[in-house]
Amino acid sequence: MDQVINKTVSFLTICCVLGSSLSARAASLPEIHGFLEMDYGVNVSDDNTKRDSFNLLEQRFQLKSIYYFEGDNYLSDKGASFNFKGDFTVDEYFSGKTDYDLRELNLSLAPLDFLDVKIGRQVLTWGTGDYLFINDLFPKDYISFFAGRDDEYLKKPSDALKLSFYPSWGNVDFIVSTFEQNTQAKGDRLSFFDLFQGGIAGINSDRDLLEPPLQLSNNEYYLRYYRSMGSNELAFYYFRGFDKNPTSIKNEADRQLFYRRLDVYGSSLRGPFAGGIGNVEFGYYNSREDSSGTNRLIKNSMIKMLAGYEKDLGNDLKVGFQYQYDQRLNYGNYIANLLPTDFVFDEFRHLLTQRITKLFKNQTVTVSLFNFYSPSDKDGYVRPSVSYDITDHWKITMGANIPWGEDDITEFGQMKKNKNVYARARCSF
Amino acid sequence: MKKITFLILSFILVSSLSAQADELSVNEIVDKANLAAYYAGNDGQADVHMTITDSQGRKRVREFRILRMDIEDGGEQKFYVYFRKPADVSKMVFMVWKHLKTDDDRWLYLPALDLVKRIAASDKRSSFVGSHFVYEDVSGRGIQADKHELVDMDERFYKIKNTPIETKGVEFAYYYIWIDKTNFVPMKAEYYNKQDKLIRSIEAMDVQNIGGHPTVMKSVAKDLERNGQTTMEFSNVQYDVGLTENIFTERYLRRAPTKWIK
Repeated sequence: MDQVINKTVSFLTICCVLGSSLSARAASLPEIHGFLEMDYGVNVSDDNTKRDSFNLLEQRFQLKSIYYFEGDNYLSDKGASFNFKGDFTVDEYFSGKTDYDLRELNLSLAPLDFLDVKIGRQVLTWGTGDYLFINDLFPKDYISFFAGRDDEYLKKPSDALKLSFYPSWGNVDFIVSTFEQNTQAKGDRLSFFDLFQGGIAGINSDRDLLEPPLQLSNNEYYLRYYRSMGSNELAFYYFRGFDKNPTSIKNEADRQLFYRRLDVYGSSLRGPFAGGIGNVEFGYYNSREDSSGTNRLIKNSMIKMLAGYEKDLGNDLKVGFQYQYDQRLNYGNYIANLLPTDFVFDEFRHLLTQRITKLFKNQTVTVSLFNFYSPSDKDGYVRPSVSYDITDHWKITMGANIPWGEDDITEFGQMKKNKNVYARARCSF
Repeated sequence: MKKITFLILSFILVSSLSAQADELSVNEIVDKANLAAYYAGNDGQADVHMTITDSQGRKRVREFRILRMDIEDGGEQKFYVYFRKPADVSKMVFMVWKHLKTDDDRWLYLPALDLVKRIAASDKRSSFVGSHFVYEDVSGRGIQADKHELVDMDERFYKIKNTPIETKGVEFAYYYIWIDKTNFVPMKAEYYNKQDKLIRSIEAMDVQNIGGHPTVMKSVAKDLERNGQTTMEFSNVQYDVGLTENIFTERYLRRAPTKWIK
């Protein structure tokens, strides 16, 4: 282990020097930025995953650049830019496996005064929640989230075409993308509740996840209408695609799960409230393949509601609170069709979150605590972190991921054997 | 003869005019200073290079392009701040709709997450991007927030004492501003605590005429309690560049306006 760390530190230093000279040299070329990072996360609870002692040990090298088209041509005239961001990784968890993660590769332009177009691989976000997503149905990486990577990696990129219209009566975003599932614990790095194993599973899990094949009819569509009313922002959302988690069963004997078809209708409102920022969001999840809720193998339709509030208390201290309410619809039909051996999921879920952030030393030290707590599921997830910008280039972050729960079946309860403490060192250039 | 009468008349007129200028009320001076410092032109752009030096002499650099548009002279304004350095915040955008009677609206765009974040803005006295300037230094402290007294005047400056009307959330007890009599640019500010101890100062180090507007090109804010200072240097300053209000919307948070940030 020591050797690995030594190797990594010298690698980081060399690359950082290299990176700095790279960004300094490029005067006429588009600027290149990026960072080098080493992540190390110690597993502090026993589970049955690939490795007992740690669940994160990797080096990451990110490069990003943006090129603005110039000269007398169409692309320049339309303010076009070409965006690139990619990560090279060396993952010691999988015995030094090298990988390449293309996070952005897209062309962005405004062909008309009232139209923006972005085509290619891109990270997409909307909605009003803080770590809670009702109408943000874009793909996420929860392994990164629970393992202790930077927040950036919670969002997975989509291969998409995004059209944004800006008529006088509001703003409309329309996105079409290929299906991309959420990255969820699957037993190798992080343990989770596997219903075929009947409990929390690690490498013994052998589920078969059936993705919708890549074809036109499996494309996903996202629509948002939003406008501001004074200081308030009102939005309506529509989504037609798939559940990005494999929540439904295709074939029990073969342990096959699949991504059910899903429509979501939603709305949100955000604006100044009681000396801070308030937000409310609503979503109706229509389970298209089981809208009556009678099929025990397919997850039912749901409604989700969220209310949040954030306030700046002065002296670089901020607090935020959220409440989310989930309800499974047609619950009677669901219960009536269950078999005696089935696991039973609750009808209601209440979830509270709290965030507190305090900055010190000219905002170079950030101390933050995020808490999820569900009184109905009797589970929660504590995320403390401290980061320090040592210089404009070097930053270190330490933190912990502490999911807990009475039951194995709940969202955070199933993650309870993945408690970890992590450290990251990053050199940006 | 007529000519002489005219000359004399003009002379008297001019003298009485300048006598009038000397008799400007304190509120008029403060009004003019507010306009000179924060409302030059109908809009403006500038590149800002900020050097933050902490009490131990460590330096940090922030670089950003700032776009400003006045909705009304002396009234509401909109700001768009596009970060270039340090690298980890490059392409980040900070946007403010400044209001006089209610809290400002603030947004932050984080490009890595494509996230448009709404920021609670009740605390205007907190540090701007970790520097020794606070938000109010950048966008202007509402002139109705203080009681103003003209305490001194010499050939060059009006010295004005400002005492906050609402003391909650304000770290000083009062402050003095020295305003240049020729162009009404605030040249120096000194902040005192309740014990009459000087705790903070801001000074304009370089003023240049840009398109007819006297413009502070370099200023230094000092924290005299904990030591440390921030130097703000402006370059590429232009006024009346023709910014439109739609730049200050979510559309251009997500897709920076190429023309204005190149």
